[in-house]
Amino acid sequence: MIGNLLSYFFLAEWLSSSNPLLYLLGLVVYAIAVAIVISVFAYCFGWIERKIIAKVQHRHGPTYVGKYGILQNLADLVKLLAKQQTVPDTADKPVLYLSIMLVLAISTFIIFLLPLSPTLQASNLGFGLLAIFVIIAFFPMLIFLTGFSSGNKFADISAQRSVLIMIAYEIPMMIVVAAAALLSRGYNIQSLITMQSSNYFVVLMPIGFVVFFIVMLAELERPPFDLKEADSELIAGWLTDISAPFYAFALFIDYTRMFMGSLLIAILFFGGWYGPLLPPEVWLLIKAVIISLFIVVIRATTMRMRIDRILRTGWWYLVPLSLINLLLVYILFVG
Amino acid sequence: MPITRINIGPVHPSTHGVLRLVVDIDGDTVKNVEPHIGMLHRGVEKLVETRMYMQSPPYMEKLDYISPLSYDEAYVAAVEAALGVEVKERAQYVRLIQLELQRIASHLFFIGTLCNDLGQMFTTFMWAFEDRDKVLYLLQEATGSRMFYVNMRLGGVVRDLPPDFAEHALNFLDYLDKRLKEYESFIEKNPVFMERMKGVGVLSRADAIDLGVTGHVLRASGISYDVRKDKPYYVYEKLNFNVKTQQGGDNFARYKLRMEEIRESARLIRRALNTIPEGDALGMPIRLIGPSAKNKISMVSRELPRGEALMYLVADPQRPYRLSIRSPCFINLAALGHLTSDVRLADLFAIMGSLDLVVACVDR
Repeated sequence: MIGNLLSYFFLAEWLSSSNPLLYLLGLVVYAIAVAIVISVFAYCFGWIERKIIAKVQHRHGPTYVGKYGILQNLADLVKLLAKQQTVPDTADKPVLYLSIMLVLAISTFIIFLLPLSPTLQASNLGFGLLAIFVIIAFFPMLIFLTGFSSGNKFADISAQRSVLIMIAYEIPMMIVVAAAALLSRGYNIQSLITMQSSNYFVVLMPIGFVVFFIVMLAELERPPFDLKEADSELIAGWLTDISAPFYAFALFIDYTRMFMGSLLIAILFFGGWYGPLLPPEVWLLIKAVIISLFIVVIRATTMRMRIDRILRTGWWYLVPLSLINLLLVYILFVG
Repeated sequence: MPITRINIGPVHPSTHGVLRLVVDIDGDTVKNVEPHIGMLHRGVEKLVETRMYMQSPPYMEKLDYISPLSYDEAYVAAVEAALGVEVKERAQYVRLIQLELQRIASHLFFIGTLCNDLGQMFTTFMWAFEDRDKVLYLLQEATGSRMFYVNMRLGGVVRDLPPDFAEHALNFLDYLDKRLKEYESFIEKNPVFMERMKGVGVLSRADAIDLGVTGHVLRASGISYDVRKDKPYYVYEKLNFNVKTQQGGDNFARYKLRMEEIRESARLIRRALNTIPEGDALGMPIRLIGPSAKNKISMVSRELPRGEALMYLVADPQRPYRLSIRSPCFINLAALGHLTSDVRLADLFAIMGSLDLVVACVDR
């Protein structure tokens, strides 16, 4: 609702202003607002995820700190901040800290670039969609750097796996994005969402949605592709030697990335901010939250796939399916 | 690619205890696995020599904390055989019921931890633990204790079954039948589970015999060997018990076999509860033990949930002179290196989970 109020009073006006100073001010205020939204989402989802998984497993989940354990994550955060941080001697500390921070910076930046409503947008780029997916392509490199520089063999192996998966899955992702761009006649996100006012893209290209959702799970390193924290084999993946405050940071990154992925799915396939009664920002957030809930339920029930099987799924099923999707979109809606 | 040597354990989420593995990997392929054991060695066999006969069962129970009652019973049976004590008929039924309940609890634990090793986030684990808890409540009702029962005594048991135990147990078994169907539909319809279980960690019939594995690992390779059938004790023969086998020899066969064994155990308990005779089931008070039993030797073999355990006991007045235990987990661990040559790193843990090792039992 804060975003809503802001958009109707001054923020939207500032962001579309031709005065560079006013635009810059608008950007700063908008960035702070986005950071607050991300933090609230990360905090709430930390709790919601625990509660949902507890329900699936016939447990109670957190109950002691605060009503229904809502403050449990705060307590955990305090604990993690108070703990001593240990980093192995073999670690390349500057690279480690810088790369893990850049992972957060990039995911936040992507959310920042996404439009929250027809008026609330940092910048209405003509090639916005392309820009976002180009930035997403930085993830494998940063994750590899984090794992490689943390001086731990488990982290190293896990980082290599993450890179393998992400590179293999980025190809079907880009093909699906190309199909979406074909449908919306361009890479502008605003027009992509406006094209969905009558028909959501999930109806127009269901195959593309399935492929994109699976790819997003891999890109966010969520189960069944969570080789990041393959706890039965690699302890905690590329986060094995990340401790105390940086572990809290890593958890925050996890939820930020989930938020990013959910927003992307909501914008690409579920019509972004379209919905009755409520203001557009709220609709977008509601859609993102529902998609995140779905991702969490998948986490509670599925098992982890093996790395070679993940790659095989990527190359043998997802790439052909995404190509078929592109072809169908071209034949049915464009050609 | 160069060979990377990684150290797994002794403290690691999926070694189920303090087992240390030194693993050489080439890329993602396991080249060599070297288990280092002994970090949980407590010298139980030696401890027994310093204690009177019936002071030892609590130590025996800690050998396998997933199925404590089974080891307890194996030890007491060895003492009984050495000292020539007959077990009362009702006590045989009571022991059988409790042993099979313990087997169900242990197998449920296995199914939960196996799914955990495959990377599920504790869901099947929690469900299986919920059901295992119900077994523990039944055993608590029967023995007064939740985890370490110490319910065996020479010639009988410490506590007879309580009056309404049969009703509670039968209710639970009906509930368990439904739950097992749920597990099967939840786990076996999961393509990721099937993909990671079918055809992984195949142990051929000949290799199974050569490696000397017992229990579910042997029976999953298609060999029908079960101590309960081949060297029957108590009333197993009378209750018409079937040995289950599977042909695959892979992870899935080991899992499926245990599912079927739970059903078979449930059937056994039902039959035992229906045919249990009236009478006295209590064993001898502890004070009476330790008559002249010099140089009497007994060798008792028992089918534990994890395989065949052999208790070799040389008796002496007051104390055992020597006790040697053939631990099923130790022998099954020996198969790990054979099973994991040239598998994927992730499969190493799936195979280890399917062998169902208890490190306390390996180390003794």
